[in-house]
Amino acid sequence: MATMGCNEFLKQLEGWMEGERGAEARAHVKQCAKCSALVADLDAIQDRAHAWGAEEAAPPDRVWVSLRAQLESEGLIRDAAVAELEPAAGARRGWRAGFFGAPRPVLAGAYLALLVTAAIALTGPSTRQLDEKRWMTGTQDTTGALSAQLDSAEKSTISAMAVSDPVVTASLHDNLAIVDNYITLCEKSVREDPENEIARDYLYEAYQQKADLLEQMTERGVSGR
Amino acid sequence: MHSRRVYSLCLRMVGNTAEAEDLTQEAFLQLFRKIGTFRGESAFSTWLHRLAVNVVLMKLRKKSGKETSLEQVTEPDEESGTPRRDFGAPDLALSGSIDRVNLQRAVEQLPPGYKSVFVLHDVQGYEHNEIAEMMGCSIGNSKSQLHKARMRLRDLLQEELRAKAREDRRAAGGGAASED
Repeated sequence: MATMGCNEFLKQLEGWMEGERGAEARAHVKQCAKCSALVADLDAIQDRAHAWGAEEAAPPDRVWVSLRAQLESEGLIRDAAVAELEPAAGARRGWRAGFFGAPRPVLAGAYLALLVTAAIALTGPSTRQLDEKRWMTGTQDTTGALSAQLDSAEKSTISAMAVSDPVVTASLHDNLAIVDNYITLCEKSVREDPENEIARDYLYEAYQQKADLLEQMTERGVSGR
Repeated sequence: MHSRRVYSLCLRMVGNTAEAEDLTQEAFLQLFRKIGTFRGESAFSTWLHRLAVNVVLMKLRKKSGKETSLEQVTEPDEESGTPRRDFGAPDLALSGSIDRVNLQRAVEQLPPGYKSVFVLHDVQGYEHNEIAEMMGCSIGNSKSQLHKARMRLRDLLQEELRAKAREDRRAAGGGAASED
């Protein structure tokens, strides 16, 4: 079999790197030192680039602080409007509070931020290999039960809220709608990509947020604030 | 957390942390501004990364002072289909001599279109169909840009090796012989 020349191989090199490796091209690479070295170089570049891809750094907190300031200045998040609704004590801190470096969770802004952040995290390319069957039988049962409990709690809470300050009630209803949208988005992402462990984590977080919010609403309903 | 992916993408594309932070902030700002336009027709991450890539490309275009398209920059000798020069000389083999620093330095010298596709495919790990969607080009175009990017990187890295070899020879007092 006559092997191809270097020029012909160069024309096919793009395909070669994509895995299209015909017998003639393979024979040429085997007997041509220059083309063999070229292929080895391109492989080395690919390998090094792949290793570089594994090195990911998190953006510093100042990016989020600055972003928060910009969003507030554009009115895209409502900080002051809801900050006064926050209870003086008992505010839950943790990772939500730290998202934009806020001193305490600020419902509308923080939940909107979380909605976006969760969406980012939920649907990205996943390299995790999980046991889908195990997830289907375990996680879905758990989330289904959680969802039902939250629906029941929401009904009770809303009836209690009917007697509280209508302005506060309206704001909290807005926040509930935001959290519900967040949950819907998380559920959709989990359905679309059940193997995405991050998506599952965010779905649980979403349920937790709704539980927290309902608890706050209940407290306000009782106190009439 | 995909904020890491966006930040890493920006960092790899522009090569310095201050600019990467600005671009990350801009990408997320755009995300908040445009979240209402996301209709779920593509994966959210693809939508977000397309947005981030556009933010970065816009920045690179401003830096270069002109509009830069993906089709930009084809090498004259590629059009003739002839090998550029003596390639793959054994003493310039890259295998084992590439580290992150010199690869990063070479990537920074790539034209924006090449750089985007190389970073997205070989570094960030996206497939050609995802890149085509993000960058608004065909899959074939993405493949072609990637190949050209790798070939250009090889030239750049080999040139660096040559420069280093020249320096070493000079330092060793053997600079009388010319290698080119």
